Amino acid sequence: MPISLKKAKSFIILLSLIFCQLVLISIQVPMGNESNYFERVVFSVFSPINSGVVSVFQGIGNIWKSYFGLHKVQKNNQRLQEEVFRLNQENSLLRSILRTYRTENKMLDLLSEFEGSIIPARTVGMDASNIWKSLMINKGSLDGVKKDMVVLDKNGYLVGRVVDPISFKQSRVQMITDSQSGVYVVPQDKNAPGIINGLGNGQCKLEYIIATDTLIVEGDSLITTGFDGIYLPGILVGHVISVKENISLFKEIRVEPAFKIQDLDLLAIIKEDIHDLF
Amino acid sequence: MFVSVLIAFVLYTLLGKISVSLLLLVNFFSLLVIYFALKKGEIYGACLGTICGLLQDSFSLSVFGVAGIAKTIIGFFAGYISGKINVTSVRRSFVFVFVLLCMELLIWAFLYSFIFSERVNTGGGLIFFQPLITAAVGSLAYRFLLKQNRSKM
Repeated sequence: MPISLKKAKSFIILLSLIFCQLVLISIQVPMGNESNYFERVVFSVFSPINSGVVSVFQGIGNIWKSYFGLHKVQKNNQRLQEEVFRLNQENSLLRSILRTYRTENKMLDLLSEFEGSIIPARTVGMDASNIWKSLMINKGSLDGVKKDMVVLDKNGYLVGRVVDPISFKQSRVQMITDSQSGVYVVPQDKNAPGIINGLGNGQCKLEYIIATDTLIVEGDSLITTGFDGIYLPGILVGHVISVKENISLFKEIRVEPAFKIQDLDLLAIIKEDIHDLF
Repeated sequence: MFVSVLIAFVLYTLLGKISVSLLLLVNFFSLLVIYFALKKGEIYGACLGTICGLLQDSFSLSVFGVAGIAKTIIGFFAGYISGKINVTSVRRSFVFVFVLLCMELLIWAFLYSFIFSERVNTGGGLIFFQPLITAAVGSLAYRFLLKQNRSKM
């Protein structure tokens, strides 16, 4: 084949590949956050590898830890005993508060409904395009994970929600720090609801707080309201770090999320049915 | 090729597990694309770039195809340019990979900010070191491969 023809053929292949991907991109625009079938297939095929690698890595780490970490066990045991004691105290305190509102039977019913409402999960991958956008977890449809389930970190702070694609044993979580995410929040003990959007850099902004509002100040803790129909009410989302006024109708409010990215090893997925309790 | 994609994917997963910041610093998929483009030419490089890019996109919440286009282009040019100039020495390969990775980062950042209408998260500037660190890792791996080949001969 003449060189010029060969060259032309190469460029045609390159342009075809780029064109196909541009078509793929333009198909997704009207779909919003929905993932297409091709993406779902790639995700489903490769996600078990992701999970497998993390399990092996974790296994090696566990052997290392159990061998060299024995001397820490006693110390940890003592600390855990103290923590159990503290949690028991907290539990009994909460029960006593609940008693003032409900009869004992109703309270026990309520507490028993919480059992099995949480699916523990482990992070198996972060978003390569932006670590503040999404993460992959090792629980999928076989474990009962569904779209829009709420995800919390080990301290109970809001991390995000489950989004497509969900494979059998893996799923993706959209974090509240993603710019496409939105959570209806309110400052604790104050009545000034607004919507939190991610900034894509690890921080969020609180929107729709009018400039004349004086209720929100730096240091305020923001909790979910549940008005968005996705997130349960009362979950700690973050803290206000700055409140600025500008020429616009609304204040410019920056929020630091309550979760820490380095603490996202273990996560809790809240099952859908718990929504009925609120 | 499939094994190489798997290895790159495993390394990508491990990096994310060790530290999320490492994901911003080293891109094994790009190294794989460039390596095979050098060995097998521009068409192979472009096709592998498409596969690796789409794989990377499927594990990200960004639009499916953004990394795909960037990697297709660098895969093609890696094969095309290496046919014109000699990049076999370690120093030259480092510069060559570095330039290609800068090009990939620029294309990706342009497409990302164009589609999402938002600034690219630089991870506190870490992402700007990605071409340098990845090129360094690539040239070290290339040096190792050269030594292995020489010892076999």
